[in-house]
Amino acid sequence: MTQHDPDFEAFLTISAVLTGYSVAELQGTGCAPEYWTQFQQVLSEEVCVGFLSGAAQLTCQDRDEVVRDFFLSDPCHGPVARALIQLWYLGQWSPLPQDWTDMYGASRFDTARILSSRAYKEGLVWDAIGAHPMGAKQQGFGAWALEPPAGRAGT
Amino acid sequence: MSKDVFEEDRFYDVIIVGAGIAGGIVAKELAAAGQTVLILEAGADHGETWQTYRSYLDQYYLSMAKTPNSPYPNLPTLPSPSVLDITAVRSTQPDTNGYFVQKGPLPFSSNYLRAYGGTMLHWLGTSLRMMPADFEMQTRFGKGVDWPISYQDLRPYYERAEWEIGVSADVKEQTPEALGIHLTQPEDHKAYFADGYDYPMHPIPSSYVDGFFAKADDMPINIGNDDGPVHLKVSNTPQGRNSTPRRPKEKGGTFPVGDEVRDPFVPRGATGAFAFMGQRCEGNSSCIPICPIQAKYNAMKTLGDAIYLGQDRLRKVTQAVASRVEVGEDGKITGIVYKKYPFPGVAQFDLRRVRARQYVLAGGAVENVTLALASNLCRSSGELGRNLMDHPYMMCWGAAPEPVGPFRGPGSTSSYANFRDGDFRGRKGAFRLEIGNWGWNFAAGSPNSDVARLVEQDNLYGTALRDKLHHDVQRQVRLGVLVEQLPRASNRVTIDPAYRTPMGDFRPVIAYDLDDYSRAGLATARDVCKQIFQRLGVKDHTAYDPNSAGYFTYNGKGYTFWGAGHLVGTHRMGTSRDTSVTNSVSQTWDHENLWMVGCGSMPTIATSNPTLTLAALAFRAADAIKLALKEEAVA
Repeated sequence: MTQHDPDFEAFLTISAVLTGYSVAELQGTGCAPEYWTQFQQVLSEEVCVGFLSGAAQLTCQDRDEVVRDFFLSDPCHGPVARALIQLWYLGQWSPLPQDWTDMYGASRFDTARILSSRAYKEGLVWDAIGAHPMGAKQQGFGAWALEPPAGRAGT
Repeated sequence: MSKDVFEEDRFYDVIIVGAGIAGGIVAKELAAAGQTVLILEAGADHGETWQTYRSYLDQYYLSMAKTPNSPYPNLPTLPSPSVLDITAVRSTQPDTNGYFVQKGPLPFSSNYLRAYGGTMLHWLGTSLRMMPADFEMQTRFGKGVDWPISYQDLRPYYERAEWEIGVSADVKEQTPEALGIHLTQPEDHKAYFADGYDYPMHPIPSSYVDGFFAKADDMPINIGNDDGPVHLKVSNTPQGRNSTPRRPKEKGGTFPVGDEVRDPFVPRGATGAFAFMGQRCEGNSSCIPICPIQAKYNAMKTLGDAIYLGQDRLRKVTQAVASRVEVGEDGKITGIVYKKYPFPGVAQFDLRRVRARQYVLAGGAVENVTLALASNLCRSSGELGRNLMDHPYMMCWGAAPEPVGPFRGPGSTSSYANFRDGDFRGRKGAFRLEIGNWGWNFAAGSPNSDVARLVEQDNLYGTALRDKLHHDVQRQVRLGVLVEQLPRASNRVTIDPAYRTPMGDFRPVIAYDLDDYSRAGLATARDVCKQIFQRLGVKDHTAYDPNSAGYFTYNGKGYTFWGAGHLVGTHRMGTSRDTSVTNSVSQTWDHENLWMVGCGSMPTIATSNPTLTLAALAFRAADAIKLALKEEAVA
């Protein structure tokens, strides 16, 4: 069960910071368990543990510093973080670069694919751009004639 | 391969090859007239029930490349052309990547779908009538050929087609004057619509994006007309998707359609068990490739009507590939041999022969030709398979100075129709500028490509990523250019025994090029788009990659074109058996009981998406087939 799994919670904490959506919003997609499974299937246990250990550091003062240092610019964690962001935004796994798999191990699950039809529909990109997933969650007759929604509150 | 052909007992009034819109209309008309009809469809019957239609939708969600054919089965034994197969044709060897064998010099980039319901499953829904001048290209401009009929001859059939498809538009917004078109002859303005006629449903609302472009309305654009510049106008596009049905002015009132009066239009929703769904467009923003609720017209609706009207007089056989049309000594067709395969994707089949009084080929401009060539039909004019046309489709895209609300609603709800006619057509192709509602989706793979760019290159994450995505994508605008193409003998579909499908049928071998008439039209359209962008403060992001398959040059500048999926002209109609394949009612000159119905009958393509004209021609052919059957019965 994932509810009290500290690793899963760390996965969500990091996902929230990387995507700009709250843990509740991410849970609300219903895709978190599926993405967590994908994540574990692609990464070796060693890489996974190392990546998730960054969650503890995100509570500190300068979070941007941690994200850039520990995650984005790290040779091991950087490509993983970028794949994870795209997974949440598109519901699609972006394969890790070959340099990375040469160094940290390859997985047969590391292939480009949309994880499920739910994953496609719950891609964060549709909310972020102020629209709806093409082919789902339709907005109703004539909604396209109205002024588009403003961006995130406060922007 | 020597196989016994099973003789089917039942003799029909009409056999129709192809269950798409053309075959559907002919079947419905003949079924309503009490005739016995057999429809042969090469594809499988997987779209008719709701469960299988749902599975198409899931396939769409899961497709990495959401191309027009992506939701639908592509059987190795019964391939459909795919836009993913298009590559540049670079040597003297043809490109055989996909179903088409491409001889070039440019690739023919359009596709279609071989399945029950046909390509209407993934069309956009644009339902434009042609302009009066389009029927007289040779007389007025010395270009191409004239049609054997005029706009006025086709007008009542356009009305029937609009009521069959269920087109949403308003007559007073669609006259050439209202569209801001400089017609080449003043009398063309008269009676574009019949008195008292109107479309069955009110217009689909124009998008917020359209409103942004409308800010440039009245801007003068000089495209080389002798009578001065045209004045830009964004106009709502007639669309084959459900909106609000038009009500009669008084209770119990009727509407004139063709030569009859009709009750108010009742929108048809999804086929099968969920008929209440899709009676109105809900803005799913995925018309191409699939309308999840079938608010957009598809041919399964007309076919469903035909089946209902025909009862036991109509029989439909799917997974039935018409393979050979047989001719008697008097030139009349005596039967069709088809391959009935039990398992989709497995090249195992029985051969069956069916017979009828009249035979209709309605498989689309390419499949009609490959079947006719394989059967050695219609050879006297030498025109069969020639004059293949499309709308070479070019895109211009940019970033607007303000949010325009893309990725909502039908793929396109408006266009600039100003350039659809004018005396400039003596020198270069006319065109229509379609306003896209889905940002750079077609042009650059947005919004996926934006996410990848911002994450992988701009190194953004978190709320900054969210905000930048909103900022960038909300400003994406895109215009699509559909330019006319003239009939050319060398743009051609042929067959070659070296290229066959796993079922042993001929693959289409296509030679294709763009002439200077179309290239000049595209170049002019590019300049017009630039001017519109300059006027609206749109930052131009248009880029044409010299490595792209559809790259071409004109006057030293490079452009890229794509296919529009408008396959036209391969069995054109005309006034003489020496220069055309069929007469003006789609009856072949060489075989009096054989009819070739569909876009292939169109002598020119002009600037309208061809489906509505195809549908009008199908009604016209159906009337003539009914008459032929009646005359035969009397004799």
